[in-house]
Amino acid sequence: MAAPDPTASPPRLARWLRVAVIGRNPKVTLGRALVLAAVCIVVFKFILLPARVEGISMLPTYQDHTMAFVNRLAYLWHPPRRGDVVGIRLAGMHVMYLKRIVGLPEETVAFRNGHVFINGKLLDEPYEKLPCDWTLPPVKDGPDQFFVVGDNRSMPPGEHVFGRVERDRIVGKAVL
Amino acid sequence: MKILLRLVLAAALVALGLWLWSALFPSPEKIIRKRLAELARDVSFSAGEGNLARLAGAEQVAGFFSTNVEVRLDVPGRVRHRFVGREQITQAALASRSETSELIVKFPDVNVSVAPDKQSATVDLTVEADVSGRRNAIVQEMKFTFQKIQGRWLITRVETVRTLSQDISRPAPRLEAGNLAIRAVATGLSVCIFAATPVVSNG
Repeated sequence: MAAPDPTASPPRLARWLRVAVIGRNPKVTLGRALVLAAVCIVVFKFILLPARVEGISMLPTYQDHTMAFVNRLAYLWHPPRRGDVVGIRLAGMHVMYLKRIVGLPEETVAFRNGHVFINGKLLDEPYEKLPCDWTLPPVKDGPDQFFVVGDNRSMPPGEHVFGRVERDRIVGKAVL
Repeated sequence: MKILLRLVLAAALVALGLWLWSALFPSPEKIIRKRLAELARDVSFSAGEGNLARLAGAEQVAGFFSTNVEVRLDVPGRVRHRFVGREQITQAALASRSETSELIVKFPDVNVSVAPDKQSATVDLTVEADVSGRRNAIVQEMKFTFQKIQGRWLITRVETVRTLSQDISRPAPRLEAGNLAIRAVATGLSVCIFAATPVVSNG
């Protein structure tokens, strides 16, 4: 019986599998994989922070146990704006609050019968879909503070984390 | 070739020496981080713990604190407590073990600032507590003060940090909370990020 010829080309299926897994040129594939990994690490660690949403205080905009991204470059050229949903860091950035900005620096924010009043004027909140009956006295933001609150104000205020936050705690704008 | 080999060997020796030095003489920050990791492990408990284990666990927790420790928990609308002394810490740890069947505590973010004299330190950290029966973890920012007492780093003060200042009137304190926290996944490739698994890594 003749021994198999080592120089013979591999079977067609094996060749196809090899091309599918590592490409025609393994060096090029390795280079591409490294570039992809580097891009992913830079993007998802420094620019778009992927985050898992936990909790119901941003309903119905963000559902519990869904994904969101926090764009850290959003406020490089302009300050946070009213209506933006932002990530707010605690001691670090592995756990953040996700809240909506309703009050800007130096503004007075009040809740009356479930409506937000900024400097005494009713704030139009198209994102607010759930019933709310909060009535809370006015609070004035400091020169570098924003007033943030979740969208789900159907829950009692005692169970909802909201209030004034310093600018430097705002990590970025939530997107997607 | 010989020179290259010698250089590699020298570099490896230097690296080994540095590693040994840091392992034998850890910095205060490293010691404090280790203490906090141990504290998180000891505060946590699982269901089915016996009475003796409960007591031992509570005693172990108290061992992280100085005798005159002061703990101020003040989360408007949720909890307001003040403990003074190790005895009260033990009691609180025991109470938490009897009121809840399971508790898992983590400190995902820890910032340590050691004083120039290296005898005290302040730690700003995030506490993440998974309590049995709750759908979502409780998160709270806290500040710990450590002091080196008789060669050991002990906690002398614990206080809550108000991430969002709320000086508007709130309803009576309750333990239940409905806050929304998001966990940022620090690093990961796109495949990991979009996978259905929860937080890939808190590190």
